[in-house]
Amino acid sequence: MPLVNFTTREITCKIVYYGPGRSGKTTNLQYIYSQVPDDRRGRMVSLATQTDRTLFFDFLPLELGSISGFTTKFQLYTVPGQVYYNATRKLVLQGADGVVFVADSQARQLDEDLESLQNLHQNILEHGVDIRSLPMVLQWNKQDLPRDLILAPDELDEALNFRGLPTFPADALHGAGVFETLKAVSAEVLRKLSHSSAGRAT
Amino acid sequence: MSTTVVEQWTAEPLEHYVAQASARIVVVMTPAGQVLAQHGFGRAVDLMGVAALGAAIMASAGALADLVGERTFAALFHAGQRHGIHLAGCSTARGALVVLTVFGRDTSIGLVELFFGEFAAARRAAAPADSARGPILAENFEAELGASLATLFGR
Repeated sequence: MPLVNFTTREITCKIVYYGPGRSGKTTNLQYIYSQVPDDRRGRMVSLATQTDRTLFFDFLPLELGSISGFTTKFQLYTVPGQVYYNATRKLVLQGADGVVFVADSQARQLDEDLESLQNLHQNILEHGVDIRSLPMVLQWNKQDLPRDLILAPDELDEALNFRGLPTFPADALHGAGVFETLKAVSAEVLRKLSHSSAGRAT
Repeated sequence: MSTTVVEQWTAEPLEHYVAQASARIVVVMTPAGQVLAQHGFGRAVDLMGVAALGAAIMASAGALADLVGERTFAALFHAGQRHGIHLAGCSTARGALVVLTVFGRDTSIGLVELFFGEFAAARRAAAPADSARGPILAENFEAELGASLATLFGR
């Protein structure tokens, strides 16, 4: 549940970008970082290997502004996508208020997308959270690649979107769909907060 | 340096701990990295980065402890040239918390550990039971969210 400070009227939400290796999770955060004014973001922390593969997580704190009189902040995290980093993926997922699943639209990556989605469900379950109660959106990234290499949004929807979640085609490298994805997951998280009687009582 | 807290009852134990241990920075957070109280930061976005890293260190140390058959590592200590970092968990009626303390050469790890123990006990004793709250956001929050994000992205 988002952290709500009634004294200073602040809401802090943790959003995790999840998905297979090289699907574009870090690229999403890098694009957001490049677009947001200095005074509204903190330093982007990337715990990566020497070859720039995410080792533990990327982290970007954002200050969104005032919503219903509450200063709203987002903590954006990515997880390492590579299969053998599951222990760290699980740690980063702890306490997530919302999840963006970033799928690689390339046809040859569909198995990896499926495996990662199943891994997400498993890790959320192991945290004792019902996946149906967790705000989540799907992003079909790399839709800018040649059509013969990728699956169309409706094909990805058919293969991966079992729950009828909001989906967004994207080209995270150039920013297409990044804003829309963040907006949608933010709205899902805040909608859940507004429907509950409270955030964590503070 | 300023002290800010999410819940007012945590202010006095935190200020006492900061003074006794001569701490430069203290961050009290949930295991997921959500900040509940802090001393020493001006910008919230800088604070969130430190909290994320502190929570990650504790989480990975806990996972390592599990692998080698320990219940957990109660505290971690990193010594630098000018500053030391003490990172420890404590439990309260509100659940597990992580406390990150940065201190200088005017104090010592022994003193920090001593006063951290007192701080953890004071928090446990002072923690009230959870209280219910009314609805938080107005019904039209989505319009405000859209406008805030548009401003943030310069659209």
